[in-house]
Amino acid sequence: MPPKSKAATKPKATETTTTTNPTTITSQTASQPSEPTTVLERSQQRYEKTRPFEAARRQQGLSKLSKEDQKGWICDQLLHLTNRLPAASRSRLLGPKASKEIWWTINGTNSIVRGLKHKPEPHITWGTDRNGHDVGSYTIERFDERFRKRIALTALQVSSRVFRENVEREKRGFVDARSGREIIVTEREIDEEKVRRSKMAALKKELYGEITGKLAGSVEWEDVVPIPHEEPEGALAAIAYPAEYAEAMSYLRAVMTTKEYSPRCLRLTEHIISMNPAHYTVWLYRAANIFALGLSIPDEIEWLNEVALANLKNYQIWHHRHLLVEHYYPTISSDPDALAQFAKQERDFLIAILSEDTKNYHVWSYRSWLVGKLGMWEDEEELKSIEQLIDEDVRNNSAWSHRFFIVFSNPKYATPGKGATEKDERVPQELVDREVKYAQNKVYLAPQNQSPWNYMRGVLVKGRQHLASVQGFVEEFVVKLGEGEEEEDVKSTHALDLLAEIYAEKWDSDKADLCLRRLAEKWDRIRGGYWEWRRKCLTQTEKEKAVAVGEAEKGGEEVAAA
Amino acid sequence: MDNNDTEAPVLDGCDQPKAQEEEPEQEWPYLDVHRHLRYWKMCIRAPLPHIYLSNESNRLALAYFIVNSVTLLTPPPSERTPETPEPLISREDKKLMRKWVLHHQHPTGGFVGTSSLVFPLRDYDTYNFDTKTSDEPDHAGLANITSTLFALQLLALLADEEDEAAAENVFEGVNRVGTLRWLKSLQREDGSFGEALSDLPGHGRFIAGGYDMRYCYIATAIRWILRGDVKEGSPGWVEDFDTEALARYILNSQTYDRGFAGNSQDEAHAGYAYCAIAALTLLDRPLTSTSPSTKPQPHNSPLLHSSIRDLPGLIHWLASRPFVYLEPPPPSASTDPDTYIYQEDDLDDPNFLLPPTPSDLLCLLDTLQKEKGKQVNVAFNGRTNKVADTCYFWWVGGALANLGHLDELVDREAARRFLLEKMQHRIGGFGKSPGSPPDLYHSFFGLAVLGLLDHEGERGKVRAFDAGLAVPRETVGVIERARGKLIESEKKGGKGFDEKQTVRGKEAVEMGLELRGDGERPKWLGACGY
Repeated sequence: MPPKSKAATKPKATETTTTTNPTTITSQTASQPSEPTTVLERSQQRYEKTRPFEAARRQQGLSKLSKEDQKGWICDQLLHLTNRLPAASRSRLLGPKASKEIWWTINGTNSIVRGLKHKPEPHITWGTDRNGHDVGSYTIERFDERFRKRIALTALQVSSRVFRENVEREKRGFVDARSGREIIVTEREIDEEKVRRSKMAALKKELYGEITGKLAGSVEWEDVVPIPHEEPEGALAAIAYPAEYAEAMSYLRAVMTTKEYSPRCLRLTEHIISMNPAHYTVWLYRAANIFALGLSIPDEIEWLNEVALANLKNYQIWHHRHLLVEHYYPTISSDPDALAQFAKQERDFLIAILSEDTKNYHVWSYRSWLVGKLGMWEDEEELKSIEQLIDEDVRNNSAWSHRFFIVFSNPKYATPGKGATEKDERVPQELVDREVKYAQNKVYLAPQNQSPWNYMRGVLVKGRQHLASVQGFVEEFVVKLGEGEEEEDVKSTHALDLLAEIYAEKWDSDKADLCLRRLAEKWDRIRGGYWEWRRKCLTQTEKEKAVAVGEAEKGGEEVAAA
Repeated sequence: MDNNDTEAPVLDGCDQPKAQEEEPEQEWPYLDVHRHLRYWKMCIRAPLPHIYLSNESNRLALAYFIVNSVTLLTPPPSERTPETPEPLISREDKKLMRKWVLHHQHPTGGFVGTSSLVFPLRDYDTYNFDTKTSDEPDHAGLANITSTLFALQLLALLADEEDEAAAENVFEGVNRVGTLRWLKSLQREDGSFGEALSDLPGHGRFIAGGYDMRYCYIATAIRWILRGDVKEGSPGWVEDFDTEALARYILNSQTYDRGFAGNSQDEAHAGYAYCAIAALTLLDRPLTSTSPSTKPQPHNSPLLHSSIRDLPGLIHWLASRPFVYLEPPPPSASTDPDTYIYQEDDLDDPNFLLPPTPSDLLCLLDTLQKEKGKQVNVAFNGRTNKVADTCYFWWVGGALANLGHLDELVDREAARRFLLEKMQHRIGGFGKSPGSPPDLYHSFFGLAVLGLLDHEGERGKVRAFDAGLAVPRETVGVIERARGKLIESEKKGGKGFDEKQTVRGKEAVEMGLELRGDGERPKWLGACGY
């Protein structure tokens, strides 16, 4: 500012002559500022102090000002405008004469020339805090408090940086130049840094609302550069998830890329699983870590029990358990006691979790696999625990299903490769009888419950029995069929259904048709379409039979003719 | 998938649909298209609530539910009138979404389920594509079988229907050969499929995922969509997976009660029954539809009908899934049962509400009809003695449709009435069970089954749906044409890209290499055809 030295001396010389400018005095006294309450107010007052004419203009309007004041305002504006320009362009804009005149006028007003360049604006001058509030609206005390916190944060950041540099030096085996000793980061320094990090995170959150998640603030993850999530435009099904999850995933991407297997990775998977237990990749990565680090499988299973109980509907947990057992099995397979012990533990847990959710598909699916894997066929406890579940709820079809599996897939007598719907010559007769009896007893408890009916039919087919072998039992549930609306009673539509099959098996189409017709007309109308379809199938079979008989007769005649 | 506690914000001005008089010509219950579209609009415009975090690893599935539903509710261009509102997803949006879907493609084939597991390409530097040995960064961007099908379906669903030429090119950029090779590598010795390839220390490369009929179905769908009829030795030919072993595995999974399970030793389940049946139909489905009729004619699969051990038994099991839905009593005597909206908890305890004997039921239904004029509601469950759930109407309906028995065996009126009256939510969408809030999964399957039923009430409102490929009929046509185009472009020498694209691609690669700056050529480039 070339005229600075002049300006600094001039006012003193002209002071006495200009103090009498009446307008200036009026405008200044009129806007005598009250004590500022907010930071922005204080800035505004400071701004106006250096621009006396601006305050007057704002209050009265330019046209109402005296000629002198108008001139003062223009000079003031020009001065602040040109002050922002570099010296060279300033002189190009205003000739020396004009410049001189401006300074003359300004000095005459005795105002403070060096002031705030920009008019203070809410949000812009002091910025916005983490809640979106204008920092300028803070009281002076509150602002000072914030300012102290910022200083504290800066100090912490400096110390933290020193620490990080020391860690780096230690890694590279540097020697301290002054003492000549090797640089070692002590436990105490690490502890101090941990405290520092948590303080920094708290301050950052308070000042700027920045969420520095657990990982970014942790010394443990110091050396990992997280890979942030990037997504092109047009993304569908974005999910509003917490910042903590996003942070954890960015670290997961980083460690998966470098194929790191370490305790910290294991902890990272636990952290993510606690937020989203359905992430299959995270589970796979967890298994990889456990196997790579050679960690104890029973310990992992114990941990997994808690997670499973907390997330009953989860599918991935059971796949993980499956992998763990596959991995663990070879280490105990030659030790019958260990195997029995492990089988017992698993069953105890399965019983516990099924008591919470008796029909959980994933649990049952794991259970059937486990029976095969550990060879729990002969284990009486397995059958007993299933019986208990059926006693508690005779409609628990999952339990019925598991029962069929353990009874009829036992490799001791079951033919390998036989499908569940196929008959098996090797299944012992007494077993078939026992299971038919069991199912029948359960039918009596609730005849309209389809589970034992399906079970009984399945057992008969597997045990190569005619369905007719249970005709007597089935007829107990069908009273006077076709003998009039008042007389006829059906205690179970499933009985009538099976009876139709029994008659068809015996080639008694009329009776079979009657059963189906009564189901369609009265007893099970919502399946009317299905029963009608069965009736159609019946007539078709009848025709086929007729054709078959006809052909056989024809064949017989040909034979006879020959 | 259980999203029962999905919290959906209640929109302003939403009364009971009964009170709404927008479509006076139609008698309640009807499909309130307006509200459904509003629900889907909300799912597109705003991030999904936190409850969907469990689906974060498979966001493509959620995207599939959204785009498929919107397509189902958007009339094809030929049926649009000046009164038809603008499609919810514009042509420009579709272009962007398409790019987003392609962004999930794994460099070795297949698609990754979520963009949060799409890794920057440099992470494949150490992967040896020839030997497929594990100097690959572990799990980096694992391609997943489920996501791959959803990605392909999405690409077809996002076709610009107003531009035939563009629609033919929807698979442009898909690594067809890589995906089919990768698919083959997911097949286990027993014929079944896993969901992803992974490395486990001490176990080497293994096929991850449970023994799950869903993966088997998905494998057949991906095969049908991409494989085509390329002859051995021609460019673009890929060795097929062992379809016979797969069929054997599926057929072995029929259970003693004649349904189908995830594998031969588990409980029969309607979702798995659908997968088993649909998979078998896709194994011998012709590559192009013979008649582009509007009424979906399911492929009458010779393989399906000839191979199932107990087909009448399977039909019996499927026909056993519908049941008379009786409302549970309201929680207290003072509540009016006609206006009370059932909460999820109310249904928990008596999970099976049928009266003890058939005559009790008949008596009850007679009373209801005589006294209150109520008609029978038919709901579907997924397993014997389980509760009503919207999605099982689809799984059972879809299975029967593939068998060619849907119209004959399901009481369409009663089942449709139940779906629209009890499962349709007042803010749009369908819930899992009566009274529960809508979620993406059930809202989509509710529409899908209406697309199968071909009920006159939904004609012109919902597009006809393909029971095998689970997309609208028109989208199947898009897939057929796009497959042909993709194979044709491979024959010309490009690898899934047309020639112009390849030149541009090469230029981009050179630029990319320069940007990498280390002067080396990463191995994966070769595998991508550069």
